[in-house]
Amino acid sequence: MRGGAWLCLFAPLAGTVLILLAGTRIPRRVAGWVSTASVFVAFGGAIWAFFALRASSNRAGITYTAWTWLQSGQFKVGLSVLVDPLSTFMMLIVAGVGGLIVLYSIGYMDGDDEERRYFAYISLFVFSMLLLVEGGNLLMLLAGWGLVGLSSYLLIGYWHDRPSAVAAAKKAFIMNAVGDATMALAFFVLIAHSNSLEFAASFHTADTLSSTTVNLVALGLLGGAVAKSAQIPLHTWLPDAMEGPTPVSALIHAATMVTAGVYLIARTHPIFEQARTVELVAAGLGALTLLVAGLIALVQTDIKKVIAYSTMSQIGYMFLGAGVGAYANGLFHLMTHAFFKALLFLAAGIVIHAVANEQDIRKLRGVGALMPWTKWAFLAGALALVGVPPFSGFFSKDPIIAAALHDHWYGVVMAVAALVGAFLTGLYTFRLYFIVFRGEPSAFAREHYHAHHGKEGPWTMLVPVGVLTVLAVVGGWLQFSPVWHPLTTWLDPVARTLAVAEPTNTQEAIASILAVGLGLAGIGVAWVLYGSGERAVPRVPALQRVLEHKFYFDEAYDALFYRPAVVLATWLRRDFEEPVVLATGTDLGEGALDIGEGASRIQTGLLRTYVLFVGTGLAIVGVIFLAVR
Amino acid sequence: MQGPGIAWYLGIAAFLFGTGALGVLIRRNPIIVLLSLEIMLNGGNLALIAFARHAHNGAGQIFALTVMAVAASEVCVGLGLVVAINRKRLALDVDKLSELRG
Amino acid sequence: MILASAGNVVVWIVWVGAGFACLASGAAVISFSNPFYSALALIGNLGSLAVLYLLLSAEFVAAAQVLVYAGAVMVMFLFVIAYIGPRMEAPWTSGPRWQSVAAVLAAASIFLEIIVAVSLKAGGKLSHSDHVNRTFGSPGWIGRLFLTDHLLAFEITSIVLLIAAVGGVILGSHTRRAT
Repeated sequence: MRGGAWLCLFAPLAGTVLILLAGTRIPRRVAGWVSTASVFVAFGGAIWAFFALRASSNRAGITYTAWTWLQSGQFKVGLSVLVDPLSTFMMLIVAGVGGLIVLYSIGYMDGDDEERRYFAYISLFVFSMLLLVEGGNLLMLLAGWGLVGLSSYLLIGYWHDRPSAVAAAKKAFIMNAVGDATMALAFFVLIAHSNSLEFAASFHTADTLSSTTVNLVALGLLGGAVAKSAQIPLHTWLPDAMEGPTPVSALIHAATMVTAGVYLIARTHPIFEQARTVELVAAGLGALTLLVAGLIALVQTDIKKVIAYSTMSQIGYMFLGAGVGAYANGLFHLMTHAFFKALLFLAAGIVIHAVANEQDIRKLRGVGALMPWTKWAFLAGALALVGVPPFSGFFSKDPIIAAALHDHWYGVVMAVAALVGAFLTGLYTFRLYFIVFRGEPSAFAREHYHAHHGKEGPWTMLVPVGVLTVLAVVGGWLQFSPVWHPLTTWLDPVARTLAVAEPTNTQEAIASILAVGLGLAGIGVAWVLYGSGERAVPRVPALQRVLEHKFYFDEAYDALFYRPAVVLATWLRRDFEEPVVLATGTDLGEGALDIGEGASRIQTGLLRTYVLFVGTGLAIVGVIFLAVR
Repeated sequence: MQGPGIAWYLGIAAFLFGTGALGVLIRRNPIIVLLSLEIMLNGGNLALIAFARHAHNGAGQIFALTVMAVAASEVCVGLGLVVAINRKRLALDVDKLSELRG
Repeated sequence: MILASAGNVVVWIVWVGAGFACLASGAAVISFSNPFYSALALIGNLGSLAVLYLLLSAEFVAAAQVLVYAGAVMVMFLFVIAYIGPRMEAPWTSGPRWQSVAAVLAAASIFLEIIVAVSLKAGGKLSHSDHVNRTFGSPGWIGRLFLTDHLLAFEITSIVLLIAAVGGVILGSHTRRAT
């Protein structure tokens, strides 16, 4: 078990280091295979750890510490990994889906000049994410947290000669930094009270903290989760992050990194349970985000942005589930979402790759006729996303709604929001599907489509999509809430579902029927508007404008934060830095020169002067001798 | 016989020494510099003789004679240098004789 | 008693005269622009110093001063000055301003320090001289000291003189061209 955990953690790091050390000595392709192999080895390690944990008697998990890293007084923290049901669950998802996506990248990034850098970064990302989920104490989690933020920055800005990509990378990093700061503050409070960042110790002290303190700690953690998972209000970075390559969007911004917030809530749920209000705030933010994101996705014209807003919306579901206390449900949705969202991104990537890197759906109209295999894969993913049985989304999304229904009146409100979200999901997903994949190919698509040796793409891209299609279909069959729930049982020792979030069978049934019905209704409306010919779409210009500006969040943040910062920076530069700081350097230099010039006048070159110095020295020494006696 | 105490002689010696030092420092003609050095040496001699008289110790006078001999040797060599410089048509000016060349 | 006091007055008068001559000629040496006049002033200085030595019971040294110093060394000086020719040079004109000021200050401070050192250190010890006998300072006495207590100084002096003579000859001779 220990071997599996360490192998899983360090294999991708070894991949990164190897690629970095080899540099340009290896061909680009080889870098891709090294990276893929390292992530698959990590997956092997995850499987090993999983089965070992299953076989062992200690189901609550074991922490292995490699060495003590930091010791200050009574505070001690080490490099440790935790193998428990939750962490093995996450390891399998991260390494498994990650491995498929890295394999896909070999085909997608083929021909890029700096491919090796990409694979080094992506291996680094997988390592960071595994560190995050395997971390045995909060400090390791924070280290992984920061590193995934870094990897995300590096990969979003991978095409660094594009100013938009660079700006998006900075935006992502800065917004994540806000979350990191709140998390760090929460950790400081925990250290102050419990002198430890070990999970058990910190959670133990959560009982003893005062109400305000534990609420603050929970808020700090929530801040980090919200930033990393792109929930309102720290969500504006995620659509811009689509500037990165499509596999990056699939891996980081769909399957794994953005789900880190959900993992955090599940991991630190003892703290959140002491601060129930904050937990419910998390659920509320999730519900709000899923609505807002769903609405914005209705008007997006970039294929990746639609899927990005969909991601934001689905993570809202996960937050909702975790927030009301149904941790296993939220995590189950995390798993199925990883499958079908990655599938959607990768399928879209095949289209983008085949049609001259075009992402505008209006230009890509009807490309499904040219790429049937991709069309079916995308359809599977879309149906899974909407939650149509027997696809995976159905099994994971409906229990969340049911759990919310069970939980007091505000739960019902959030459940209603989630149901409306289900309708919107159906609508925007199939809007996308019908526009892009149905109907006659547009002139643009026909002109720019080029097959890859007769097939729609290289095998390195097709195989992962195929695997993910299968997973998107069957992945949900792992748990059917009322009847058969091995996942909840597996996660029970570490993430027990709160009683308040355990719905009755009736509520489950109502939730499922309503969700599926609304989803199908959404598909139907989409069919009417976009599928069957060119029907004119009813437009409400004011609403359209609001949606197209993404509810003016970007403009608001610009006015609230960016402009004042710019004004302050300009003022400081003009009135402080240039006259005081920069001038000091020049003044010091000039002063030194002046002193030098003055001193050099002693060098008269005359012998007499030097004799004079001897005489003066004699006089001074005489004075000293006289004074000292 | 009486007369002024030793301290007065020492005062004169100090004045001679200081005057000689001043001459060394401000004159440019090397001959005058040598003359100023002579004054300094004589100041020292006077102090030695005065202390010899005061302490009834002959060593002071012996030392003064030695100093006189050394001063003579030094002047001999110094004036030889001056003559050699003059023969080379260089300027007899310590400010200009600043390089060991020529 | 009266003779003693009269002797004392004479001593004082001689002392004042010689002392004044000494100081004045010392200042004169460094003040003249004509090196010839400076050399002559130095001869005067040496003469007055010889008188002071006589007052300090150093007869042999006084005689040596006049014979050797004034007679030989200064004559050598005058010869060289005559050989080189007139080189007029005003004392205070050259060099940076601060150098002249600093030179005066350095010399003055050396002078003052010696005065201060002597007066502080010596305290009252300089007021009573030992009584010396008649042989003190006589040539015989000096000679005996040279050959017994201070033989090393005697020998070293002779070596120094030899070296100086050799050096003088070398410096003064014409360089031979390599043939």
